[in-house]
Amino acid sequence: MTENTKKVKVKDIQRGVWNPETISEIKYKAATGKHRIRGCGSTQKYPSFDDLLVLPSQLSRLSIDTYREDCRTQTVLGSRFAKNPLVIETPIMISGMSYGALSKESKTALAKSTQIVGTSINNGEGGLLPEERDNSYKQVVQITPSRMGFSLANIEAADALEVICGIGAKPGLSGHLMGSKITKEIAEFRQLPEGIDLHSHPRHGDIFGADDMVLKIQELRDVTDWKIPIFVKIAAGRVKEDVKIAAKTGVDGIVIDGSEGGTGAAPVVATAHLGIPTLPAIVQATRALEEMGLKEEISLIVSGGIKDGSDVVKAMALGADAVAIGTGTMIAMGCVVCLRCHEGKCAFGIGTQDPERRKKLDIDDAAQKVANYIQGMTYEAVLIAKAAGKTALANMEREDLRSMTLESCAMTGIPLMGTNYTFTDAFGFF
Amino acid sequence: MVSLDIAGMSTQDVNRKLKELIRQDDDIVVKNPHSVHNFATALKGSRTVSVEGSTGFYTGGFLQGPSIIIKGNTGLYTGDNMGAGEIIVEMNTGSNCAPSMVGGTIVVKGHSGSRAGWGMKGGNLIVCGDVGLWCGKMTLGGRIIFLGKVGKGIGESMYNGVIHVLDPDVEDKLGGNVTLISIEDKEKKAVEALFKKYNIEQGVDDFKSIVPNVSGRHEYVLFKPTHKRTEAPK
Repeated sequence: MTENTKKVKVKDIQRGVWNPETISEIKYKAATGKHRIRGCGSTQKYPSFDDLLVLPSQLSRLSIDTYREDCRTQTVLGSRFAKNPLVIETPIMISGMSYGALSKESKTALAKSTQIVGTSINNGEGGLLPEERDNSYKQVVQITPSRMGFSLANIEAADALEVICGIGAKPGLSGHLMGSKITKEIAEFRQLPEGIDLHSHPRHGDIFGADDMVLKIQELRDVTDWKIPIFVKIAAGRVKEDVKIAAKTGVDGIVIDGSEGGTGAAPVVATAHLGIPTLPAIVQATRALEEMGLKEEISLIVSGGIKDGSDVVKAMALGADAVAIGTGTMIAMGCVVCLRCHEGKCAFGIGTQDPERRKKLDIDDAAQKVANYIQGMTYEAVLIAKAAGKTALANMEREDLRSMTLESCAMTGIPLMGTNYTFTDAFGFF
Repeated sequence: MVSLDIAGMSTQDVNRKLKELIRQDDDIVVKNPHSVHNFATALKGSRTVSVEGSTGFYTGGFLQGPSIIIKGNTGLYTGDNMGAGEIIVEMNTGSNCAPSMVGGTIVVKGHSGSRAGWGMKGGNLIVCGDVGLWCGKMTLGGRIIFLGKVGKGIGESMYNGVIHVLDPDVEDKLGGNVTLISIEDKEKKAVEALFKKYNIEQGVDDFKSIVPNVSGRHEYVLFKPTHKRTEAPK
């Protein structure tokens, strides 16, 4: 037998459907009769902002000096009706991650990082940790369906509210917090029995439909005396319709969370197959607001898979006023995305409630790393924006972009690179 | 005592006026409520607000201390996220009464709808009449008392708190992950005290209590095949 005709080893054969992951999933279901729960969110390969390129300035545009000229990054969100909109120094916010899913130390570190770079943190589901509020530069408070740890005091401590309808990692599903993380401390904070698996509400007990939500937003205006902005967070699905409904409820801003968004625990089948990714979602959200004539009034914040400054600048060119990041901040603190947040055994003291493991996280060091990461991302965004001839990040436009692939061209309506043409008017923006 | 006619006033103006009057430390009588929504939102203080008529959705949401007495009916979500004080509804409420309530007491003299006490976290909810489906779903605390008939799925997936019921058929209507037990003596005293305070003429001995299963995992039925699962034949 010659070298060319030797039998190929089974392990070297390319696998299609019956790849190791599929086989593992089938064996898990065969053994347990249940779906698998996993942390971190989807591992699908989605179309991403990397499928877009930014056009640099040359003769048709003048570039801005990267090192010597200014490019504004200060971002004002929620000025539609709120007397005191949210003002942050970079358009990169820290998204909602709960105390429970994360340790007290990591929540405190994240809050401290916002003081360093002048941005906001979001408390997530499960109450507002005093250490978070005391250390945050700007505090966004989530109003979640479960309302665990939520009261009027939380609203009074907030710089902005976020009524959450769903998250990109598991849209349409409730929150999951596995019993391994429900220690005595977390149990008391959330009013839960210690060690029990939590499956919280998937929908609000006081918002049964869009019409009720109009009244709910009015109620929250009365509670806050119209002072702080109210956002609504929507997982990306029927984005256009959902954004139009959200806009009509009278909110100041809309957060769209794509399916790349992270989570502490979710059914694998949900993370992989529910919802659409951030790139097409932002296009639909922008178009919806433009069709309503509200794009300049309502702030659009996008989250889900945002990893660097190029993502930020492209998201803003597509219509976002700001982005929110979660998983990236955890990686900055030491997370290696092992997909096992749900087990509560995080070796880095981030996604755990175990007292010994929590000691692994140095709060001040972690805070500095997260701040560095956000600052570095902002530098990247500014660098690209200046090269594109912008003196403010908010000045990024669609025409500054080109698509690298036919898929992203069709999805976004951004012309294919090297051309000024898109497919048809049925796609994207144009 | 001051009188406030709110006919034609916007919700925002009503709430601003109520806050202004209650700061003057006066009891308030509200006339012509015309089922206004978001009545008395986040009102603070210790005075009594009597409403001569009905109010709409979200009555007394985020209430923080006053007593609100509604002579008529209230709409959905009465006392949502309420923190302290009282809401006494002389007639009926819409569905989802006391959602995510944190503290205080709500007394409904008539009937309430489905999902009363949804996600309650503290305080007391008393409904003298009947209630619908899924009441007390996923409560995290507090005391719920139902004197009339209850609907199916009561107490589904409670994590904390207690529901006291008189309905003799309640055993067939229990939600998942809860247990029906006899009312304990200390619970009887607490219920008796509430009945005395709110002039509810009802004995407490016949009540049963629904309490959460707090050990181990909650069990869920994700789909319900008509075929009964059996062991594979040997």
